[in-house]
Amino acid sequence: MAPTPAMSHSSAFLLPSSSSAAPAGSADPAYALVVLNQRLPRFAPLLWERGKCSPADRFFAALLSSLLAVLGMCFSLPTPFSLCLSLAAQVRVCADGGANRVFDGMPELLPGQDPDVVRARYKPDVIKGDMDSVRPEVMEYYSNLGTKIVDESHDQDTTDLHKCVAFVIDNSPILDKSNLCILAIGALGGRFDHEMGNINVLHLFPNSRIILLSDDCLIFLLPRTHTHNIHIERSIEGPHCGLIPIGAPSTSTTTTGLRWNLDNTSMSFGRLISTCNIVEAENVTVISDSDLIWTISLRHHP
Amino acid sequence: MAPTPAPRPAMSHSSAFLLPSSSSVAPAGSAYALVVLNQRLPRFAPLLWDRAQVRVCADGGANRLFDGMPELLPGQDPDEVRARYKPDVIKGDMDSVRPEVMEYYSNLGTKIVDESHDQDTTDLHKCVTFVTENSLIADKSNLCILALGALGGRFDHEMGNINVLHLFPNNRIILLSDDCLIFLLPRAHTHSIHIERSIEGPHCGLIPIGVPSTSTITTGLQWNLDNTSMSFGGLISTSNMVVEEDVTVISDTDLIWTISLRHHS
Repeated sequence: MAPTPAMSHSSAFLLPSSSSAAPAGSADPAYALVVLNQRLPRFAPLLWERGKCSPADRFFAALLSSLLAVLGMCFSLPTPFSLCLSLAAQVRVCADGGANRVFDGMPELLPGQDPDVVRARYKPDVIKGDMDSVRPEVMEYYSNLGTKIVDESHDQDTTDLHKCVAFVIDNSPILDKSNLCILAIGALGGRFDHEMGNINVLHLFPNSRIILLSDDCLIFLLPRTHTHNIHIERSIEGPHCGLIPIGAPSTSTTTTGLRWNLDNTSMSFGRLISTCNIVEAENVTVISDSDLIWTISLRHHP
Repeated sequence: MAPTPAPRPAMSHSSAFLLPSSSSVAPAGSAYALVVLNQRLPRFAPLLWDRAQVRVCADGGANRLFDGMPELLPGQDPDEVRARYKPDVIKGDMDSVRPEVMEYYSNLGTKIVDESHDQDTTDLHKCVTFVTENSLIADKSNLCILALGALGGRFDHEMGNINVLHLFPNNRIILLSDDCLIFLLPRAHTHSIHIERSIEGPHCGLIPIGVPSTSTITTGLQWNLDNTSMSFGGLISTSNMVVEEDVTVISDTDLIWTISLRHHS
């Protein structure tokens, strides 16, 4: 039987921008940011800036990507080229009313700065969805600045997050897909059916890295197809954590690095689920026979 | 010939407890207990408080009550509000409730029950156990526990609170927030959910949390399920709409029902 492939996870993207964005030795992920229709968390400006590069970088990367798409068919690419391209892949998408939240919320989060300057700087690349929540003046403002408006009002079968995730994946350069990490804010809390629909998006795209963040915590899927190594950035996350078998019971889960580790333990709703656990080591490992949701609290700094 | 399985007993549900107090109150004989957890009070907290026979704060929920009730009733004297909205019990491990808040309510007669020795159950679990086991409510057959502050916030807390619904499937427990309410539809019953259109809906959902559902049948929804399978990774019913006054649900697994609450300006 083939050994289960390992998968590493890190919240380094939440570190202040002067820090390195990834654990040493690994390539920087390409981040995409999706903003849904809830109040922005306090770290929204930080996530927005993550992986930002200059217009010159983007031009160079675009030029390179055409050349390398050809070369890539013949050779495997050295890391520096992948890194450059991953910087250029940064995309920020607002799902419908998420555009209102950016328009109203970014100046509030950066009170020392001119609101108009803030709004122009934190301009989404795309506003996507069925357009029944975004205010007309907000849509016009961003449209005038070059934001692409993608009307999906014909598609009532998928959630806003689903539409945005599909869009980001479809529009990512091929070379970035393996390193793509989608950060979604505004997906937790609020209407419970929305939250559950958003969590289902994690299950519908098990091969994509999608992290849902709020002011209080973050969550992501640990697919059962992999063994997991979660690097804990203690300065910004923890100690409270949990492992949730939200879709199906887990017959056996084994962990290290937690205060109450699981040892071939069964978990299910109606019985034991791991909540109010505590991270104790710098790395947490998880092996399970079932998809689990990992959650960890985020530290509040005054 | 195989024996016909016994028909499942019917279970009715109603959110009438959220109607303004001048309306007819709730299915006859319902007794409400209110549990307040440690998150900002929803706007209808005073209404539910008045409905309830027993009021329990879980630890930091007492802070939320102390700070939040006067804010929700701005036309009234804060001290009078605090004295009127006094919990019967503050229960939990006491690591969040402010000392002065605990002292204030203790002086007014609130019972303080320190559970700091018990780290194995969530605050909501402790409060539900307390309400179901003690004698503050004489007739528990119609008991319905309303919990505030159990949704949103830290995700592991929310999941632990939802697990309490699964751990007490024979008790009516409803989790409420400003945006919605949720409760368990145990598979042992067929369900009839009466929709109070003035205060809830139209958005609703049926969520198979914990285990996939092979077959669910509904009536009264915009997109009804017809012997439909549901699971995470597949279809779950979200952003559905109630279109009739009563919604019926029959399923082979426990489901979580959720419906949005209307915001009145």
